[in-house]
Amino acid sequence: MTAVARRAFRASAAIVLLAAVWETLPRLGAVNPVFLPPLTEVLTAWYDLLRTGQLLDHTQASLLRSLTGFALAIATAIPLGLLIGWYRPLAGFLNPVLELFRNTAALALLPVFVLILGLGETSKVAIILYACSWPILLNTIAGVRNVDPLLVKSARSMGLNAARLFQKVILPAAVPTVFTGIRLAGAYSILVLIAAEMVGAKAGLGYLINYAQLNFRVTDMYAAIITISVLGLLFNLSLVRLERRFSTWRTT
Amino acid sequence: MKIQFRDVGKEFPVRDSDHTFPALSGVTLDVREGEFLTLVGPSGCGKSTLLDLLSGLTEPTSGEILIDGAPVEGPGLDRGIVFQQYALLPWRTALANVEFGLEAKGVPRTERRELARHYLDLVGLRDFEARYPHELSGGMRQRVAIARSLAFDPDILLMDEPFAALDAQTRESLQEELLRIWEATGKTVVFITHGIDEAVYLGQRVAVMSAGPGRIRTVLDVSFDSREGDLRADPRFGEYRHEIWTLLREEAIPVG
Ligand SMILES: Nc1ncnc2c1ncn2[C@@H]1O[C@H](COP(=O)(O)OP(=O)(O)OP(=O)(O)O)[C@@H](O)[C@H]1O
Ligand SMILES: [Mg+2]
Repeated sequence: MTAVARRAFRASAAIVLLAAVWETLPRLGAVNPVFLPPLTEVLTAWYDLLRTGQLLDHTQASLLRSLTGFALAIATAIPLGLLIGWYRPLAGFLNPVLELFRNTAALALLPVFVLILGLGETSKVAIILYACSWPILLNTIAGVRNVDPLLVKSARSMGLNAARLFQKVILPAAVPTVFTGIRLAGAYSILVLIAAEMVGAKAGLGYLINYAQLNFRVTDMYAAIITISVLGLLFNLSLVRLERRFSTWRTT
Repeated sequence: MKIQFRDVGKEFPVRDSDHTFPALSGVTLDVREGEFLTLVGPSGCGKSTLLDLLSGLTEPTSGEILIDGAPVEGPGLDRGIVFQQYALLPWRTALANVEFGLEAKGVPRTERRELARHYLDLVGLRDFEARYPHELSGGMRQRVAIARSLAFDPDILLMDEPFAALDAQTRESLQEELLRIWEATGKTVVFITHGIDEAVYLGQRVAVMSAGPGRIRTVLDVSFDSREGDLRADPRFGEYRHEIWTLLREEAIPVG
């Protein structure tokens, strides 16, 4: 076995084992196959959903919400974080409020969002935007504030003014920390999405999971769950890639 | 006179109290144009504080500091600083780090690259221009930092224990290199060190500081008949060394 093959085998061994357990336990009657059908049945249902185009429609609806909220969060939280991090008095002043919000679970506010923005797309995108904003905001603030003071001192000694100091030292130094926030936000965007789609949605994977459960289409429910985990996994993987690309210098 | 300290004092506020802590008091010191002056003193006596004042990063509480007869007003590119911990930008390659000071100076891009290459070459790092700081050894990083400070061509080079973190062999070769560069460029150098040997080896004059609050205790002229061969084996070297050692020891054991 080559090294690559061996590594691939080791990485997928646990997954294969999980699949085998999922397949055999219901077949042996160890768990009730009505509530947990064997994996192959779930995969067949998944394929049917794919063939009829339903899966694609729901995935599209979900991704659109997720990515919109995520992108809006990046667009607002990064500039805001840079501002708060840069003006120390502002950061000190806002800190208690930030702590309070950061420790309030985003989903606890879902009813508030629905109350104010209704059951439509706006409230769904808004709750995702909200949940994604926190890790990005807090990490951006931390990134700006934790720049090595010696680098700042050295740059100041060369007569750099505040704007240039920010552009040439603070900003590049904060990039890896900001990316950590973006990666966390990526995970949140999927987590919150599903919950939001279980309330008053007409499409989306969260809706599909809920709808299938209510109608006792258990295989469809599991098919949707698998889809969402794979989606989350791929999203996270691509963000990790991107993060690594932007912080190669960080390896010490 | 290139640099003049006139009765300079520096006090730091003490947290949660109205008192201030005097780090420097009545410091008077002249540094000649093109001179290599080393500064030794016990830890905490205010050497770095003195350098910060000279670099314009902080202001003295009393007295004044003149460069070419004019009072220091903030930092400027007429002074280049080399720190003990290198202070290289980790996301920039060696070459881009050397270019940093040139950007601050407003040198055009193409000229910048050329100059940066020249100075990397001067410190013997021609083949390492594309490396990031974390891919360089401690000695190489310090060379990049020195090249960066030389590149924007300051009149004065301020060095705060730049070789303290290096092993003996690397330190000695960098000391030699620094002397060579100093002779070639004619810059005024103020070099802080803990090491008596280093102070004697590098300095034309050695300023010995005392603590509590920091003052200049003596300034010693150092000269050798010849710098050929192993300078450290010269009997004069031993004498200077002993003299400074005695001064610093008296400092450590309070008299009377
Ligand atoms: N920003 C500051 N606020 C308060 N006290 C300070 C500050 N900077 C330095 N000091 C104090 O001033 C004194 C001199 O400090 P400094 O760093 O200049 O010493 P040093 O001679 O460079 O020491 P070392 O050889 O260990 O580097 C020390 O007692 C230090 O605690
Ligand atoms: Mg010091």
